[in-house]
Amino acid sequence: MSTIDYLIQGFGTALIWYNIIFAFVGVLIGTAVGVLPGIGPMSGVALLIPVTASITGGLPPEQAATSAIILLAGVYYGAMYGGSTTSILLNTPGESSSVVTTLDGYQMAKKGRAGSALSIAAIGSFVAGIVTLAALVLLAKPLSAVAIKFGPAEYFSLMLLGLGAVSGLAGKSVTKALIMTVCGLLLGTIGIDSVSGIARFTFDVPWLFQGIEFLTIAVGLFALGEVFKTILEIDEENAEIAKINNLLPSKEELKESAAPIVRGSLLGFFVGILPGAGATLASFFSYILEKKVSKDPSKFGTGAIAGVAAPESANNAASGGAMIPLLTLGIPGSGTTAILMGALMMYNVQPGPLLFEDHPQVAWGLIASMFIGNIMLLILNLPLVKVFAKIIQTPKQFLIPIIIAISIFGVYAVQVSTNDLLLLLICGVLGYFLTKNDYPIAPLVLGLVLGPMVENNFRRALTISNGDFSIFLTRPISLVFILITLLWLVIPFMMKRRGKDVIINLEG
Amino acid sequence: MIIQFDRIASVLFLAVGVLFIIGSQQLGNSSYGSAVGPDIFPLILGSILVLLSIRLFYETFIRKNEQGSKEKLRYKPFLIIFTATLFYILTMETIGYVITTFLFLFVCFQTMERSKWVQSLIISACFSGFIYFLYVEILKGTLPGWPVWFS
Repeated sequence: MSTIDYLIQGFGTALIWYNIIFAFVGVLIGTAVGVLPGIGPMSGVALLIPVTASITGGLPPEQAATSAIILLAGVYYGAMYGGSTTSILLNTPGESSSVVTTLDGYQMAKKGRAGSALSIAAIGSFVAGIVTLAALVLLAKPLSAVAIKFGPAEYFSLMLLGLGAVSGLAGKSVTKALIMTVCGLLLGTIGIDSVSGIARFTFDVPWLFQGIEFLTIAVGLFALGEVFKTILEIDEENAEIAKINNLLPSKEELKESAAPIVRGSLLGFFVGILPGAGATLASFFSYILEKKVSKDPSKFGTGAIAGVAAPESANNAASGGAMIPLLTLGIPGSGTTAILMGALMMYNVQPGPLLFEDHPQVAWGLIASMFIGNIMLLILNLPLVKVFAKIIQTPKQFLIPIIIAISIFGVYAVQVSTNDLLLLLICGVLGYFLTKNDYPIAPLVLGLVLGPMVENNFRRALTISNGDFSIFLTRPISLVFILITLLWLVIPFMMKRRGKDVIINLEG
Repeated sequence: MIIQFDRIASVLFLAVGVLFIIGSQQLGNSSYGSAVGPDIFPLILGSILVLLSIRLFYETFIRKNEQGSKEKLRYKPFLIIFTATLFYILTMETIGYVITTFLFLFVCFQTMERSKWVQSLIISACFSGFIYFLYVEILKGTLPGWPVWFS
């Protein structure tokens, strides 16, 4: 069957009535997550996994996986739309990938052009979303065809590359990021070893036999960590929300931003594919690019529409681009995609080259639903932006305790164990202190999700070579991956040595 | 502040690494038909963690102490909410979801801000009742609903 047939089938899946509702709820919650400062896409997706798991419980497994991933992916790219709203209206980014948007977006709002800034951001995000989806459709088959030829040695090195790239860019200190990655991998070894059946590090506690649940860790570290941060460091600032006058951009503004949107989409897409570099980096790069390309760079920072259009397109494109390594190779390149991968694995769907053959319904259904979701977001965001701006005013008094209650309900609903709830609470406190002291959390979750697969491929490769470690270096593709990993870790280190500022990825 | 934390953390990570190395030594070192057993992966990771934590410890000495502006942390509400969460978790299975969630939310709402009594009562009651109804009645999930001594 050709790609087009698969895509049509995917639309068939995505257009089932409940999947439309799932996509709609996903993008709606996603936009709210993006608007609310304090809840980023990562904690938003982590929080919703248990909720979707219980809602989709009645469906057959494969359909449940499709519907759940449609909703969760909707939250992910919906957050990219929503993040711009607060950046422009309040000068506070709703999530880290919209930091750059504040530079020009808030200036535009001050000048009474908030409406056109918002609509350009939405249009840019939409164009970027469609561009990356088209690329995803075209690249999915060839990429997974290449990846399917990989042996365990290549796979191990590729995963090493993914982990290394995320650690290299994840925080201020590479050492700390690597420590977190290794901790994640070590946590993944707890439980019954899937190859030999031996219980490892369980101390005969039955609760530990099935391993540390990724969901508990992710919800605790991200969602509860953020909540505790808000409680401890509450800041009483009541910034004024800029007024929105005209909603539609003028023809000149559209003309002016057309080229930046295209450039931002393409740049964002390629940055998004790279492991480790996520939406935040993409929006930074595209802003810098626009400034370089522009005939009048002094305009930037005073309300240039290109300064809104380009980074907003780029961060949405990057979030779409990040789906490519996840779906075709099974290697998540960021914290959020790691969580999406964990969600898929909860439904026994293994992302990777076989995904398109074993579960075409899941893969193509998701891709098709992203088309639908992007259209929904465009329709939602243009007229309803005023409603979304109101969400910012949700009092923290009610929001914070409800997030705790949802986390506890969610983890209990999936795990039905008080031990997991205690672990959740501990992770929440740890999450707060680790983030506060620059220990990035995304690599830990990535390590935990990838851990068992890294180990399996590692051991399979060594079994083939009879325990000879040189197998990773003698197979050419594997060697290339390992070399890239080393470069990825060493180059930022060298640049820091020279006193250069290295842009780091805060989103993870 | 950060440097102290890093030093303590590096020692703790070192301990974790050593424990994993010791733990992996006690695992069977081979499984049938394979030259590599279940012990080798945690052993390597543990060793890497030990090396990294030594590096982190060393880094804390190179870096100059950057004393950032000390921000005031609101420990009191945090401790109250933390304790409330702990009680909530520990009592949920005996007293049941509806009552504990209601109490937990109400306490937390009032800790966050001591105002809007009526609104807090209504929201906590609605949330706990709604989630229970939705999850148990409609989605047929399992939650400890009411106190064990009732049923």
